[in-house]
Amino acid sequence: MSDAVALAPRAAKVDLAGWWIAPPLIVLALLFLYPLTLIARAALIDDSGGLNLAAAFEVLDSRAFLDALLNTAEIAVASTAGCVVLGLTLGLILAFAPFPGAGLVARIVDTFIALPTFLVTLAFTFLYGSAGILNGALTSGLGLDHPPVDFLYSAWGVVLAEVTVYTPFVLRPLLAAFSLVDRSQIEVASLLGARPLRIVRQVILPAALPAIVAGGSLCLLLTVNEFGIVLFIGAKGVITLPLLIYDKAIQESDYQAACAIAMVNVALSLGLFGLYRFAARRLGG
Amino acid sequence: MTAAAAFHTAADSVAPKAPAGSGVTFDRVSVAYRGAVVLKPLTMTVAAGEILAMIGPSGSGKTTALRAVAGFVRPASGRIYIGGTDATDLPPCERGLAMVVQNYALFPHMRVSENVAFGLKARGAGRDLIARRVEESLRIVGMSQYSRRFPRELSGGQQQRVAIARALAVRPRVLLLDEPLSALDAQIRRAMVEEVARLHADLPDLTILYVTHDQSEALTLADRIAILKDGELSAIGRTGELYHRPPNRFAAEFLGRANLLPVVVEGKARDHGFVGVRIGDAKVVVSGDDHPAGSRRLMCVRPQNLTLTGDAERSNSIEAELREIHWQGELTHLVAAIGESILRVVATRLPNPPARGDRLSFFFSPSDANLIVEEAGV
Amino acid sequence: MLVWSLSGRVLVWSFAALILGVIFVAPLAVIMLASVSQQWNGILPTGFTLEHYRDAAGGAERDAVFASLVTGFVASLLALVTGAWAALALRARAGRWGDALGVLFFIPSAVPSVSVGLGLLVAFSQKPLLLNGTTAIVFVAHYVLISAFAFGNISAGLSRLAPDYEEVASCLGARPGYKLMHVTLPLIAPYLVASFGLSFALSMGELGATVMVYPPGWVTMPVAIFGLTDRGDIFTGAALTMILVVTTLILLLGLERAPIRSAAPR
Repeated sequence: MSDAVALAPRAAKVDLAGWWIAPPLIVLALLFLYPLTLIARAALIDDSGGLNLAAAFEVLDSRAFLDALLNTAEIAVASTAGCVVLGLTLGLILAFAPFPGAGLVARIVDTFIALPTFLVTLAFTFLYGSAGILNGALTSGLGLDHPPVDFLYSAWGVVLAEVTVYTPFVLRPLLAAFSLVDRSQIEVASLLGARPLRIVRQVILPAALPAIVAGGSLCLLLTVNEFGIVLFIGAKGVITLPLLIYDKAIQESDYQAACAIAMVNVALSLGLFGLYRFAARRLGG
Repeated sequence: MTAAAAFHTAADSVAPKAPAGSGVTFDRVSVAYRGAVVLKPLTMTVAAGEILAMIGPSGSGKTTALRAVAGFVRPASGRIYIGGTDATDLPPCERGLAMVVQNYALFPHMRVSENVAFGLKARGAGRDLIARRVEESLRIVGMSQYSRRFPRELSGGQQQRVAIARALAVRPRVLLLDEPLSALDAQIRRAMVEEVARLHADLPDLTILYVTHDQSEALTLADRIAILKDGELSAIGRTGELYHRPPNRFAAEFLGRANLLPVVVEGKARDHGFVGVRIGDAKVVVSGDDHPAGSRRLMCVRPQNLTLTGDAERSNSIEAELREIHWQGELTHLVAAIGESILRVVATRLPNPPARGDRLSFFFSPSDANLIVEEAGV
Repeated sequence: MLVWSLSGRVLVWSFAALILGVIFVAPLAVIMLASVSQQWNGILPTGFTLEHYRDAAGGAERDAVFASLVTGFVASLLALVTGAWAALALRARAGRWGDALGVLFFIPSAVPSVSVGLGLLVAFSQKPLLLNGTTAIVFVAHYVLISAFAFGNISAGLSRLAPDYEEVASCLGARPGYKLMHVTLPLIAPYLVASFGLSFALSMGELGATVMVYPPGWVTMPVAIFGLTDRGDIFTGAALTMILVVTTLILLLGLERAPIRSAAPR
């Protein structure tokens, strides 16, 4: 056997590198983009094949849709605000007043991201439901006839559940941002006599602003899209866009209405996604 | 790499049978990146079996030139020949090269022996050949006893030796070294420079293109040095020649320290190859020819070639006022002023140290000084 | 380091413990407790039993566990392959087009899951691809929803991989395919495994798209849990939820600690 390893030079091949993206792109187009366009088609085109906006407008002008849109927006904004406040509070404590086991706590909160959202709702039934622990304690303790706590089956129940579920999405980028804050800056500030709240306001918060905006806009997106929590709470008056789509399609088999609402919901989500990308890129870069 | 004996036995079997012309030729190679030219048309040749060091500050284009040889960047114009054949359009894997980089880039999921075998396996070599080459290559770098280890179990210097063994195992036509020692600390780096020099002494046919920003590595190792600046070849020549007679100011200052004093040419000296020049009032003789009388030049003389005592050889003397004196153990650094110019002197023995403000005579040999045509605007 | 006095720290810590306890610990604890309770009408449950787990281990609930595991495995595997493929292909394509395509692969994570399900229902209830009523449509729904996470995870891993390893490999003579199999993929293996674990976990908890498309006979755990609680059988629902949580955690933490010797830092 020859000692020289073959090194036959070959002619340069046609550059195909750019086309490697084609297979996954085709899969994405077939399984995701194509169905999305069919939603728009089903919403806007009637059985005869012509453009028919009247039916879609009728759906979008209905009481049920407008209520759902309002509910969705209210719940999403309230939940996001709650997530930001709670995430900021926990983040500050975990990062700047760490207690033994703070790292473990941060990890446990982190795994919440991967758990199903309806889990919290189920737990809330046991905690705050009409026959739950809190009401049980209050009725027997105070001798009341009726369970005094009944926020669970309202928009507030949804908001509380969403805050629980989505706070980790704010906390995670915040902890990353806090870890980059220069510790010596804080120490110098305290030596100069600045009080903790002043340090938080003037040193820490400006550094963490990009993380707050990015985490907050992600929360907004996810809360607009949330389905499991609203379905599980199943409160009469609390119908959001995803739930309305489910009701129209599965309960009423009114696919055209479902598609019209889904179009609005998807557009709203994509807008928020754009906002999130913009915020994450602009501020986080 | 302890036993020198290991080198000699190994060299007999591993010395690559250099393929006909294993050199590299850059033929007007330029590289542009996002519209900006990072390497202006470069023409030079690395001869088979030589070590050519490319040095220059960061952004000078030296790494770009090396990456063009490897095939990681495509020249915007020009051709690259490896071993006499046009390699410009070949993908990296077909160029028959090997590379050692700054952070070693040993594959962390492979043992040392698997790392060294990588190139041969990738080229589909037979099992016997692989086993033999791995063994030889590891022996050359003195890492035989570590073949079962993982890279993370080795020190930086050891990892770099494995990286060199991995490159040698494929018997590259050209070995590309991209700042190979920069990640090591100073002491290990000095030892590794000597080892690379020994390696080349034992593998005389191995062509090496060595990129570094460290001039002492280049001076120790290279047969020839190419100095790049702002994407352009500023000077190229045999190492000693380039050091002793730098062709321009940048080469003089980048390759070691140099005193550059403005002088006026008086005329040819008595001896052939020497000219007489004037520094202020002093007249000295320096090496050089073809410098017309009355022209302005820079005289280049290295700090260690100036002494405080003259003799038959050091026949030139210039007077300067001592401004600073720094004793640094083995060496003493003197800073003196001649008019507007600063003269740096490194003295090894200084029995009676002078004091600041003293006017001193400094002596140097005509053959230790040469003239540089001052570039406009430099 | 912001709060220096001991009393101040104790105050801050108790506050944190209270929030963490009420918001994160209590829900998990209460479900765990409920899953082993006989009756729960007062403050605390009366009597403990493993009956709910026995219920969940047989019949429809066992089928749900099976359906979820199979769906998660198939969808995660598909997402792993296409996610890695897309991330690798896009890495070679820097520039505006590459960035735009990268965003495109992220978009499925931004669209509400119910709408994804609705779209699949509309698209695949007609020829040429008639998937409605099959288990395949559930796989597809889960795949679409988790594909963006797989892509994102693997892209992040690739961006942390220093280019030196692959450059040295190709310089030594490795052709692109060989380099991919022996250098690139082994080096990003930890990210591939983590991405698979996260995909699996997300699939296990998926509800919105599944309720839109699932055929009778392929009820995943979340759908089964909804069915149970909707019927008022919250204790068996809690037991099935615990099974879901434990499986998810095993997948996440187990795969994160998988004995993979690699991870080349930049």
